[in-house]
Amino acid sequence: MAEPSFLDVQDLHVSYGPIKAVRGVSLQVAEGEAVAIVGANGAGKSTLLRALCNLLPRASGKVMFAGRSTAGVPTHLLAGREGMLLVPEDRAVLRSLTVLENLRLSHDTRPAGRSFAAANEEVFAHFPRLRTRAGQAAGNLSGGEQQMLTLARALVSPPRILLLDEPSLGLSPRLVREVYAILRDFRARGMTILLVEQNVRTALRFAHRAYVLRQGTIVQHGSGEALLADDGLFRQYLGVH
Amino acid sequence: MLTEQIVNGIVMGSLYALIAQGYTLVFGVLDKLNFAHGEIFMFGGYVAVASVAMGASIPLALLLALLACGALGLAVELVSFRKFRSHDAHITAALSSFAFGLVLLDLVQKAWGTEPVAIELPHALRIASVEFLGVRFSVVKLAILVVALVLMFALHLAIARTRLGRSIRAVAESATSAALYGINVTRVIQIVFLLASAMAGVAGAALAIRTGFAANEVGFTLGLKALAIMAIGGMGDLRGAFLGGLLIGVFEALAFQWGFGQIADTGVWLFMIFVLLVRPTGLFAARASKEARA
Repeated sequence: MAEPSFLDVQDLHVSYGPIKAVRGVSLQVAEGEAVAIVGANGAGKSTLLRALCNLLPRASGKVMFAGRSTAGVPTHLLAGREGMLLVPEDRAVLRSLTVLENLRLSHDTRPAGRSFAAANEEVFAHFPRLRTRAGQAAGNLSGGEQQMLTLARALVSPPRILLLDEPSLGLSPRLVREVYAILRDFRARGMTILLVEQNVRTALRFAHRAYVLRQGTIVQHGSGEALLADDGLFRQYLGVH
Repeated sequence: MLTEQIVNGIVMGSLYALIAQGYTLVFGVLDKLNFAHGEIFMFGGYVAVASVAMGASIPLALLLALLACGALGLAVELVSFRKFRSHDAHITAALSSFAFGLVLLDLVQKAWGTEPVAIELPHALRIASVEFLGVRFSVVKLAILVVALVLMFALHLAIARTRLGRSIRAVAESATSAALYGINVTRVIQIVFLLASAMAGVAGAALAIRTGFAANEVGFTLGLKALAIMAIGGMGDLRGAFLGGLLIGVFEALAFQWGFGQIADTGVWLFMIFVLLVRPTGLFAARASKEARA
């Protein structure tokens, strides 16, 4: 790991009106590292990711990305110029645009030094099904295909960090395996990944390191393997056995 | 003559369509109505009058109306919509834009008075005509039709084929998703107001050139009729605004031809009520607008 704090979150607090959803979270992600945030439903995982992209205002705390503070940087600049790609829980593909237009928009805002045609060839080599669906509206894709499209966006326009919110949500076990196979490929290419998951065991098997979030607070962290072996963790914080 | 009246209707309908497309463009992206739009259209006529009075050619007058009204569009976005972007601010944005339009109307009345102001067109241009299939057509009207059609076709191509068009459609679907794609939502909304208002300005200038004068009541009369046309065609649907404009333009022309001119306006509003009752999505909309789905 070349850079110990590519993403450095210090004492982050986020509130929804009177509800304090994230309370003093500190975490670090090194460049090229895959980090998971696991926790039960309502632990504040999605809120944390949305706050990192400045989709939600932070009450206090500091977020540094690639050595620069993200305070006051609008979401579109974090996504485009800074390369912080968030795939939210609802996947947020643009349903009325075609598959090709979704990919093209990603390329428009972050071309990454190559032509759209060249980027697209790589995408279709990885996701042959998207080639057959290229001219269809993204809203007509199945849930699994939409997830593939969101991951394809990361190939067209490689982000500096990929933030994934529940990538396995609503997918069949076979599709979950497919999604994680692609994510392992991204990890092998050196892509920095921060993902939140309720599918704890899958996430811990995938991640180099993980944080456990409970009621907006980090209660434990360590390597994915070590947390996976900790039965007490599952019983105490995650409500699974 | 019937053919001539139908052509008149198509010319007027193309102007309605230009204004209605501006309404629908803003509605499609923000889900809100810009009630200053009619007065911006009206202002385009006065820009044409002033430009021609200062020696500008007709094309230059149209260009100046396009630029001046485009700039007004940017102003109305900043003043009446920027702060009221949330979904629960429909009324606030509507009221603010309505007030913006009234201020503009008042300023025009202060500057030019309340009576129509004649536009000084060369006599030769006024009477120039061409004959086609035995029917004589006014060159001015045909030129207006060509300008309106070219502008609307260019807008269609821009929305369907360009990066800007993709961005506009993305913001129309979801501002949050668009931002996550790296799109500057505020910039896109500004451009939408610029385009919508510029088109309304050209329509206002073209109307003044066609009728020979600029009148300050057209913001209310024709501007609001274009709003009805947007609803008839399908809110948020550019094709619907285009077809709705032509339909109403021809309907009015034929009503005058057959001696029902006095009820033409009422007919448009009754037609809108009927369409909203039986087909709330509008006659031509490919999909239901957010408003119609609600």
